[in-house]
Amino acid sequence: MSGIYFTTMAVLVLAGFYLSSRRAVGVSREASAGSLHSLPVYHGLYTAALVFVPMLLVFAVGAPLLDRIANSAALAAFPSSLATDELHRGATLRDVYNLAANQYSGAPSLELQNAAETLKSTLSLGRWTIFGLGVALGLAGFALGFTSIDKQFRARNRFERFVLIVLFACATVAILTTVGIVFSVLYETIRFFFDPSLKGRPTVTDFLFGTEWNPQAALRADQGDIKTAFGFVPLLTGTLLITLIAILVAGPLGLFSAIYLSEYATPRIRAFAKPILEILAGIPTVVLGFFAALTVAPIIRGWGHHVGLDIASESALAAGVVMGMMIIPFISSLSDDVINAVPQSLRDGAYALGATKSETIRNVILPAALPGIVSAFMLAISRAIGETMIVVMAAGLAANLTFNPLDAVTTITVQIKTILVGDQEFDSAKTLAAFALGFVLFFVTLVLNVIALAIVRRYREQYD
Amino acid sequence: MDMSTVEHAMLTPSATSAPASGTKVTARACNVYYGEKHALKDVSVDIPERSITAFIGPSGCGKSTFLRCINRMNDTIASCRVTGKIEIDGQDIYDPALDVVQLRARVGMVFQKPNPFPKSIYENVAYGPRIHGIAKSKSDLDEVVISSLEKAGLLKEVKDRLNDSGTGLSGGQQQRLCIARAIAVSPEVILMDEPCSALDPIATAKVEELMDELKANYTIIIVTHSMQQAARVSQRTAFFHLGNLVEVGDTRQIFTNPKEQRTQDYITGRFG
Ligand SMILES: Nc1ncnc2c1ncn2[C@@H]1O[C@H](COP(=O)(O)OP(=O)(O)OP(=O)(O)O)[C@@H](O)[C@H]1O
Ligand SMILES: [Mg+2]
Repeated sequence: MSGIYFTTMAVLVLAGFYLSSRRAVGVSREASAGSLHSLPVYHGLYTAALVFVPMLLVFAVGAPLLDRIANSAALAAFPSSLATDELHRGATLRDVYNLAANQYSGAPSLELQNAAETLKSTLSLGRWTIFGLGVALGLAGFALGFTSIDKQFRARNRFERFVLIVLFACATVAILTTVGIVFSVLYETIRFFFDPSLKGRPTVTDFLFGTEWNPQAALRADQGDIKTAFGFVPLLTGTLLITLIAILVAGPLGLFSAIYLSEYATPRIRAFAKPILEILAGIPTVVLGFFAALTVAPIIRGWGHHVGLDIASESALAAGVVMGMMIIPFISSLSDDVINAVPQSLRDGAYALGATKSETIRNVILPAALPGIVSAFMLAISRAIGETMIVVMAAGLAANLTFNPLDAVTTITVQIKTILVGDQEFDSAKTLAAFALGFVLFFVTLVLNVIALAIVRRYREQYD
Repeated sequence: MDMSTVEHAMLTPSATSAPASGTKVTARACNVYYGEKHALKDVSVDIPERSITAFIGPSGCGKSTFLRCINRMNDTIASCRVTGKIEIDGQDIYDPALDVVQLRARVGMVFQKPNPFPKSIYENVAYGPRIHGIAKSKSDLDEVVISSLEKAGLLKEVKDRLNDSGTGLSGGQQQRLCIARAIAVSPEVILMDEPCSALDPIATAKVEELMDELKANYTIIIVTHSMQQAARVSQRTAFFHLGNLVEVGDTRQIFTNPKEQRTQDYITGRFG
């Protein structure tokens, strides 16, 4: 069905474009004075847009709407208790759909057969309605575009406005998605803290200031002390500790290699080194996790052994160092780009005053490139905070409240993953805790971004 | 352009004053190659101290190339190779033992497009003295900055906003800021590559006036496409064509009585 719809749409759009531009060419040849306001191609594009937009909208709105209508029509025959029982409702719907597709095994009840029939007829009626409506609107757009072709008609300007609308729509979708995600996480978070039907939920203070993290306890609500199940502090310190180590590793390495590549390296070295750095960015984090657990952690343990320190086989240091390696390419590649974007004239100005290369870089190039470098760091930090796999493999799951980089720690994302693995239902305090964690994580990165923006605004040196 | 305008322009007093005695810059058999391209061919010239020398010639003839040899800015271009000898005060500036950074402090440069640093006006001028340790104290530095801005004729316009960004000035002000920046390190030679090409006539007049004052203490070399400008401000003029130095002499002689046919053709506007 959607195949036919989109084929028809493509045909109409192409036809609209082709016929309209042809006609525009024809109009321009007519004897009367004056030439076409817009090139024929714009008349074509204008008609095509008039066909494309309504047809796409009809489908985008109609298809999900039809699904809902069909579902409730199919379930109408069943007892109304289904409406409140999510689990049962889903199973019944699956049966109805299977039966309608002739994939139902066993003997269906009469009720089920009726429901399947209703589903089929509703769907087919609905699909034809969508098709009819879409094609009708498409043709109307076609007619409107085609008939408005005229010497004076400003198809070029109209199409410009269409482009503007498309761009605006894309930006809106991006923003709405963000807002939607934030709100859905916020909603579950509020449930986690305030839903009275939830057993073992913590108070906000318990969560934000608790120093013990042990979500399994919430499942055994009768045995454990619920108050200490969801203390968020050890996760935050674990996350910040690993991120800090990662930035301490990647910051200098990434920035200095960017400076070397953009200011000192010969073109030969650059052509060879830059791709290698970018390959580093392409290594899957699972592989880096192996590397952390099997190579880096033992080395660190060996060093520790020699200086008489007893280091756990899983340590924040190992995870942080490898995570630092993961984010080096972000910092180096982006910083390299912004350093290259600093105009040569600024360098010449400094050299002509007798500045050395490193003075020029420190006093002129880096300040001018600062906003870009800070965004590179922010991107890298966000990646580090969001990274899960390396921590799982190298830093462990133990929620220790510690600032000692040689201990095992855990992070927010790792706990989200641990909580959710194997669970489908978001109805216990344990699983909903994941949303609360997600929300706080989002908040932490937001604060970091605001700080970074403030830094940029304070220290930026704008060149033009 | 016709001869009468040139001659008219020449009658300003600065053009007629005699060049000072000593020779500041000496080039002998200077060649520059950009990769395979031979951009400057066998240039030999003496540039007198405390006067203004103008380089003229059609686009692409190697004026900027030669200018950049004098403070070794060509070193920053990977493909560029310089042969021959250039001396300042008898010292070979391509001698491997010579410190380029110090050379550039002695030979300042002002570029065609104003390129102030994206820092405050004060910091722009203070930058050179800072890196060379010229000022001993904050008040010394203040004094250097103020006097440089004064000499560049910019002080009156900016004295209330020394902490505003240098990039916020008008084009003409920016160019004078760049001149102030260059003279703040007290160079002996100032190279100017078409310093007025982005400026309006009023700003141009200010810069020319400034050069006329500066020539009492500095050796100035200016590349220009405006023959009126060359005639107005310079005491000596060198004409380049296709990488060759065709003719060099007193500005008056070059504009009134050139020895070479090519010079004659160029200044009368027959080509270029
Ligand atoms: N960085 C470079 N790489 C390669 N060739 C260059 C480079 N700079 C200049 N050239 C070449 O050297 C020749 C002389 O250039 P130069 O910039 O000295 O000319 P110019 O006399 O200053 O011209 P204009 O008046 O247009 O500024 C030109 O042919 C130019 O193409
Ligand atoms: Mg030039």
